[in-house]
Amino acid sequence: MAELLLMRRFEIPDSHTLRVYRETGGYQGLAKAFGMTPVAILDAVKRSNLRGLGGAGFPTAVKWGFLPKDSPKPRYLVVNADEGEPGTFKDRYLLERDPHALIEGMTIAAYAIGSHLSFVYIRGEYIKPFRIFSAAVHEAYEAGLLGKGILGSGFDLEVIIHRGAGAYICGEETGLISSLEGKKGWPKLKPPFPAVRGAFDCPTIVNNVETLCHLPHIITLGGQWFAALGTKTQGGTRMYSVSGHVVRPGVYELPVTATLRELIENHAGGMPRGRRLKAVVPGGSSAQILTADEIDVTMDVDGLRDAGTMAGSAGVIVMDESTCIPEALWVLARFYAHESCGQCTPCRESTGWVEKILARILSGKGRPEDPDNLLDIARRGAGTTICAFYDGAVNPYLSYVEKFRSEFDYHIHHGECDVQPGRVVTGLGTR
Amino acid sequence: MSLAGQMIAFTPAQLDEVRRLQALYPDPRAALLPVLQLAQEAFDFISPDVEQYVAGLFDLSPAHVHEVVTFYSLFFTKPVGRHVVSVCRTLSCHLLGAPDVVAYLKERLGIEAGATTKDGKVTFFTVECLCACEMAPMMQVNDRYEGHLTREKIDRILERLE
Amino acid sequence: MPRLTIDGKEIEVPAGANLIEAARRLGIEIPHYCYHPGLSIAGQCRLCMVELEKNPRPQIACNMVAMDGMVVHTQTPKVLETRKSIMEFHLINHPLDCPVCDQAGECWLQIYYMKHGLYDSRFVEEKVHKPKAVPLGPHVILDAERCILCSRCTRFCDEITKTGELGIFNRGDHSEVGLFPGKVLDNRYSGNVVDICPVGALTDRDFRFQVRVWYLDTQKSVCPGCSRGCNIEIHSNVRRPHHAQGRRVARLKPRYNPHVNDWWICDAGRYGFGSIDQGRITFPQLREGGLLREVTWREALALLIDRLRAYGPDEIGLLASPEMTNEELFLIRRLAETLGVKNLDFQVPPREPGDEDDFLLRADKNPNTRGAEAIGLWPADRGLDAWEMLEALRREQLKCLWVFHHDVTRCGWPEGAVLEALQAAQCLIYTGSNVNGMTERAHLVLPAATYAEKEGTFTNFEGRVQRIRKALPPLGDSRADWEILGECLEALNAGPKPNRPEEVFRALAHAVPAFAGLTYRDLGEYGLMLREVAHGASR
Repeated sequence: MAELLLMRRFEIPDSHTLRVYRETGGYQGLAKAFGMTPVAILDAVKRSNLRGLGGAGFPTAVKWGFLPKDSPKPRYLVVNADEGEPGTFKDRYLLERDPHALIEGMTIAAYAIGSHLSFVYIRGEYIKPFRIFSAAVHEAYEAGLLGKGILGSGFDLEVIIHRGAGAYICGEETGLISSLEGKKGWPKLKPPFPAVRGAFDCPTIVNNVETLCHLPHIITLGGQWFAALGTKTQGGTRMYSVSGHVVRPGVYELPVTATLRELIENHAGGMPRGRRLKAVVPGGSSAQILTADEIDVTMDVDGLRDAGTMAGSAGVIVMDESTCIPEALWVLARFYAHESCGQCTPCRESTGWVEKILARILSGKGRPEDPDNLLDIARRGAGTTICAFYDGAVNPYLSYVEKFRSEFDYHIHHGECDVQPGRVVTGLGTR
Repeated sequence: MSLAGQMIAFTPAQLDEVRRLQALYPDPRAALLPVLQLAQEAFDFISPDVEQYVAGLFDLSPAHVHEVVTFYSLFFTKPVGRHVVSVCRTLSCHLLGAPDVVAYLKERLGIEAGATTKDGKVTFFTVECLCACEMAPMMQVNDRYEGHLTREKIDRILERLE
Repeated sequence: MPRLTIDGKEIEVPAGANLIEAARRLGIEIPHYCYHPGLSIAGQCRLCMVELEKNPRPQIACNMVAMDGMVVHTQTPKVLETRKSIMEFHLINHPLDCPVCDQAGECWLQIYYMKHGLYDSRFVEEKVHKPKAVPLGPHVILDAERCILCSRCTRFCDEITKTGELGIFNRGDHSEVGLFPGKVLDNRYSGNVVDICPVGALTDRDFRFQVRVWYLDTQKSVCPGCSRGCNIEIHSNVRRPHHAQGRRVARLKPRYNPHVNDWWICDAGRYGFGSIDQGRITFPQLREGGLLREVTWREALALLIDRLRAYGPDEIGLLASPEMTNEELFLIRRLAETLGVKNLDFQVPPREPGDEDDFLLRADKNPNTRGAEAIGLWPADRGLDAWEMLEALRREQLKCLWVFHHDVTRCGWPEGAVLEALQAAQCLIYTGSNVNGMTERAHLVLPAATYAEKEGTFTNFEGRVQRIRKALPPLGDSRADWEILGECLEALNAGPKPNRPEEVFRALAHAVPAFAGLTYRDLGEYGLMLREVAHGASR
């Protein structure tokens, strides 16, 4: 395994404490950053080719660059710790095992973009991460690492930790902002983009936890050094969450140039019980599925895009030969139907429709036209909604049916599964 | 406002916390989620009476508070048991046996998902991805994540509950 | 002013206009549900998709501000196919219960399905079920299954009335519009949510199952409910009278006027049309031996002229009404001049102060007070005002009083004194539309047409002169006040009776400086300000 950046403290006892963090080089990036101008920091981030690691993969420096230069309003940095993408759990590890890395990273970001108030939006179910992170914030305030005149720099930053209340859509940056503002998490129309008019109608940058945790070593070791770990368009390492049918599920930090096969076979130990690989979701449930012979791809944003899928949140879900793909898709369809915020008609209506069609297929009442209808519904809704949620649902709808069409047809014509004949799926029609 | 004769009102200390939260944000309304979380701790669940009370604290229409409460899955609009068990049913957990976990809990507790045991001890829900897929199949028991579930482990967890 | 191209046509639009409004100016309709020009942009229905050159994906027109040099296409195959898809999504969970839905015939799901849908249905699943036939308040009823969740009604209650009664609860396809448990939708403008609901989710309780909308006739008018003068449409049903127990006016709808009421009207005005068809005086009546006897108009008018000639000018009083049109008030002024009557007034205090707010409702519940003031229906020289006329009646100094529309037995004056005065009158003439305390006491009752049954103009409190139009023939033998007054003036040799109110208006504009230069044609859709107001003169 290459050098660890994000996970280097994970195995150290009490890694969540300020003491351990400082002993292992913590807050040196921030000290260095205060000696730089915000423009120089932006430049370092630009050189680093750091991309957002929450799911969209947008270049971080470009995002920061959208902030208006002449707005008299305050600017806010919002940390997206509303981890929710099925198959993803890396931010939970960072919050629990290296909370000061996030505090340091967000302070660097806040300094770079000129924000003095920062919100950390943590998903409501993450109670332990919330407690550990809150304690770290408290420690940081006590040590003069947050609040007024941080490290004698004259830079002030206040942090508000805001807990979510159970809604996947709040991981979408404008849904998150709505939720932060005390409303239901309906994503907002764009334009205006958050950088121009975001939280409380002020210019706002929303960055993912992992993205911000990269900033301390980008500042310490330099943007070019970070960029050199990756590809021409994406620098550094990232944390891959691996789950499903593997021997060693967990988080793995690898350069973005690593391949999916390497991750699954070498790091996660391959399939248990000698089973054969059937399919992999490489970037959280909203990424297109790959078949067993499509995993020789690098896991950077471009590599996976070229493979017809996406890097997304780097949540890798592995399915072995025992997996019924129509059933897997139904499970995800139920997820999307449950989590659709209900704002836009195509998403609100068709997520429920798709779930019902799949449940009907699994109950043995499939119709020959169902697979084509699924594809058509997905294609018709794609790209028509306010946010990316629905497109994230369309990716599995289309790719599962397209790549495993015969499994759907078998269910429809035989009324049962060809993978596990006689299997009865429970919970159909409940949401 | 009353619920079964009980007054819905925060204690003075809780009210201080409400005011602190409202003053914390650039817009007091932003404190609605934290205050509802506080209300759920105080009153066990968010009844219409609680919604109306909270709406009054924010000078919001009760309908707007109801919108928020019904949007988020962690707000309980009905009474729940002393312990809340939420079984993840999304893909990774499903692949590794979430349906068996759900079936076993139904059998053990004698209730359907979403219901509360007769003794008021446990409410069990099925929920979407809790982002702990590495410990699939898993569930949340009150504020703890419990993973790598087996029948034996579920038994031990349930036995620990008061 | 940005200049852009839509479907190959160039147009210049005001800065800030969105693409729906820009296209509308070219006569191009971009279909939409959630967009409403009076409300914030929601962007939820996704139907108003258009293609922009240099933009790979269709965009919603409602949230796209027209920019200089933009090239917009509203009819590309991609746009048409997207509309069709969105229509299907809107309709999959809809109950398709048009045969029992009041909205049928004016439902935008029906209209857009025919224009932009026309796909074959393929939804075979169980639909999502939601509450049906839920009364939300005194006027509005909800069918949540028909709702397409466009949020217009919730935005109306949030942004226009700021009462916030409605919300969209839950999420995903379980989202539903509703009230907070135990609350009602009873703000003063609640009926507007029915108008802006593009489908049959919110309908009028009093219109429910009354008549099919395709049997309705429409006429433009002005609400007579207060001095705001909100623009309305009168929807009447004369083709299927048996469908609504013979009631001719089925409903009133607001009519857009940016200077007066935008898209809205209050509930008091909207639902206050009952008196057009109920409790009407339908024939002239003469009191004989204490009882009213039906007479012909010929007899009634002869008697009227006889009475007006029998008394001296000082013994006659004329009490006009701010419910009458400018034209009619002008004819009363002419009548007073012809008879030499100086006892002339139009104002009677209301029994209770009128309901007022900072939106549309005005305390003055008369549609034409400003017109009466401008035309000068005041006592001439040392003539008597309304209260003085009653006192003079009581003292038997005034012998004959002709009251138009006011029910002075139910007004702000002490009832005993009023009744005593009326009792003392030798001749009490009442012209009005509805049976009331005056019809019980008048010696001669002349049935007047309502505002819905005649032409004319009202002047609102700001001085805006607006036309009302005849939606229905006068009920029974009733006649418009201008006709009655015209006959009367002709009989008094004060010139030939007018054929149309427009003739009277021409004379009014000639005689009264405030109206100078105004014509029916120029009043147009939105009306025009009185001259004094338009020129900023004092008031």
